[in-house]
Amino acid sequence: MIEIKNLKKVYNDVTVVDIPHLTIAKGESVGLVGNNGAGKTTLFRMILDLIRPENGEIQSNGEVVAGHENWKAYTASYLDEGFLIEYLTPEEYLYFIGGLHQQNRAQVDEALAALGDFFNGEILSRGKYIRDLSKGNQCKVGVASCLLQNPQLLMLDEPFANIDPSTQFRLKNMLKEANKNKGITTIVSSHDLNHITDVCDRILLMEKGVIIKDIATSSSTLSELESYFGVGQTVGSVPVVGIDLEENH
Amino acid sequence: MVSTFIRHELKAFWRSKNTGKSVAIRVVMALLILYLFLNVLFVGIFLDKALGEIFANDDLVKSFCGILLIYFLFDLLMRLQLQELPTLRVQPYLHLPIKRNTLVRYLALTAVFSVFNLWPFILFLPFIFKIIAADSGFATALAFIIAIGGLTVFNNYLALYIKRKSNLNGWVFLVSATVLILITTCDFRWHLYSLHDISYAFFGRLITIPALAIVPLILGIVMYYFNFQYLKQNMYLEELTAHKVKNYKSSTDIPVLARFGAVGDLAANEIKLILRNKRPRSALVMGLFFMFYGLIFYTNSQYGQTWYIFVGMFMTGIFIISYGQFMFSWQGSHFDGLLVSNISFSDFLKAKYLLFTAVSTVAFLLTTPYAYFGWKIVVVHFIMYLWNIGINTTMVLFFANRNFKRIDLSKGASFNWEGVGATQLLLSFPLCLAPYLIYLPFMVFKHPDMGLVALATIATLFILTRNYWIKQLEADYYSKRYQIAEGFRNK
Repeated sequence: MIEIKNLKKVYNDVTVVDIPHLTIAKGESVGLVGNNGAGKTTLFRMILDLIRPENGEIQSNGEVVAGHENWKAYTASYLDEGFLIEYLTPEEYLYFIGGLHQQNRAQVDEALAALGDFFNGEILSRGKYIRDLSKGNQCKVGVASCLLQNPQLLMLDEPFANIDPSTQFRLKNMLKEANKNKGITTIVSSHDLNHITDVCDRILLMEKGVIIKDIATSSSTLSELESYFGVGQTVGSVPVVGIDLEENH
Repeated sequence: MVSTFIRHELKAFWRSKNTGKSVAIRVVMALLILYLFLNVLFVGIFLDKALGEIFANDDLVKSFCGILLIYFLFDLLMRLQLQELPTLRVQPYLHLPIKRNTLVRYLALTAVFSVFNLWPFILFLPFIFKIIAADSGFATALAFIIAIGGLTVFNNYLALYIKRKSNLNGWVFLVSATVLILITTCDFRWHLYSLHDISYAFFGRLITIPALAIVPLILGIVMYYFNFQYLKQNMYLEELTAHKVKNYKSSTDIPVLARFGAVGDLAANEIKLILRNKRPRSALVMGLFFMFYGLIFYTNSQYGQTWYIFVGMFMTGIFIISYGQFMFSWQGSHFDGLLVSNISFSDFLKAKYLLFTAVSTVAFLLTTPYAYFGWKIVVVHFIMYLWNIGINTTMVLFFANRNFKRIDLSKGASFNWEGVGATQLLLSFPLCLAPYLIYLPFMVFKHPDMGLVALATIATLFILTRNYWIKQLEADYYSKRYQIAEGFRNK
């Protein structure tokens, strides 16, 4: 699905992403972990052709991402609130996104009806523009718009950061369902090691722009990650959940 | 404590992205303010001459006293429109161990430092020194100064009070603006009473009893105290924020545009952008006011056809210029989202063309009543309408590819320099000069109508070859898109 070759991004003489080679196969669920400044968001942005790498290229379905637009048809992503049109109501926005994928209103309504639990009555027909929603609810709109697009590739940057515990569990189930049943390739970043090891079959650990670990999730993965992040020596201790303020480069 | 606040405030000013970035803008801004300042000073210095001409059979001092109240009514109306609320700045201090009174006093007092409080003094002080001090002595002059100062303070806090109230309830603003307008129309239109006389009844007495100056001063102090109390009781985040969201926002569609598919959806979104955000909305409203622009030129036979081109271009295309000059900054906050969604850039551009064409068509239709001044004017308008949707739209979009400055939609329009840069200045030259480059040679050789035909032909050619220009713009955009997106990401 995704192939990265010699990818390098430098900001002010500091290398923020340096990935010599990485392949993500179709149907994989990949979790991206790493401390603030590890380069997770930058990597996401390069995969989405939002920033230009100094070096190297990214291929999606065998076609270079930069300068092409075919990937947009099957890639859905939500990185931050900047992906939402803030002056629209959630309905207007979701109809708009659905329309871009040739779905009429009835189809969108049908897809949204399945998300009733996830929305928890806080999104639709509340009479608010997206800009007036809380960050957590904005995230729900972003995730919903992604699922609406029936993508082959789904990319979410820290989706668990701002949403409430119930929604976190629902989102985990939705991500698993999307990957296992629909075969959607998912790339998700998170600071919550419990969630990420639960959802993803493969974990990429980034440090200062470099992927230092690439592990298939097993029962020992969580403790392996916890010992890397230095949270605690005992298995099952509370991992750090961080809200990332530094990520907006 | 207050000095710490002031230091923070200064840092906030110098370090904000708006002020810090471009020296050129700051210089232009300073020059503009200085120019305005000098203009007002000029009016102030020659106020006696002006009053003498307007109210030729009245005593100078009498007419001066007469206009003071009227001035302050207009002043209040202006303040309601333009004066900024000193608000959210206190948010980071609310939870700290700082006395509530200190914060409130700081907020209330700093409100005095507004340019609006300078104008009455610049405008009236010269007259007071020139005429009143000379006529009635120093004590009277001082009384006038105190009275004007008192009314300024009163107006200042009254405007802020109304603005704060209207944040909680939008009707407050409408009602107070209506009351103000009614007060003035009752005088000027229906002659129920004379503000002039009422004003003179008070200020005229100041000459004989200077001690009366205490009245406006007390009014000012009372209003300050009123504000102070109000702020103190409402020192909560929700009450302090500059914009309120309480009423139900409903979803709307624009069915006509749905027929254009994705392009129509994009255009519909942009119309919502304009209608739901203050600053683009005021660009639209300003465009409506521009519909009266022709009255200045067409009522005066001094201005010939050469001017009509200019006027016609602005009236049918003001929206393209005032809104288009900041493209794509309006969408800066969600540009990333647009880039990754399933939209081709040519659709994005076509939506812009659709929007501009629609708005210009409406503007052209609105200007047809100018046929009253001759059919030729409508013909010129139509040609310039073609020019706008053919050439100016393309030109504006070409410069939009060179605009990397983000605009925060939540901020108002007045004195908002966000997003202003060299692009806007550069854009204004070709916009204003291009039609004359075509027209003037014909005019010089005494064939002005041939010049109009040439303008129409070129404009039509551009409209017919629109798809070619969209391709060119798309290619141009592809070489700049990372820079644009990067610029918009910088808050």
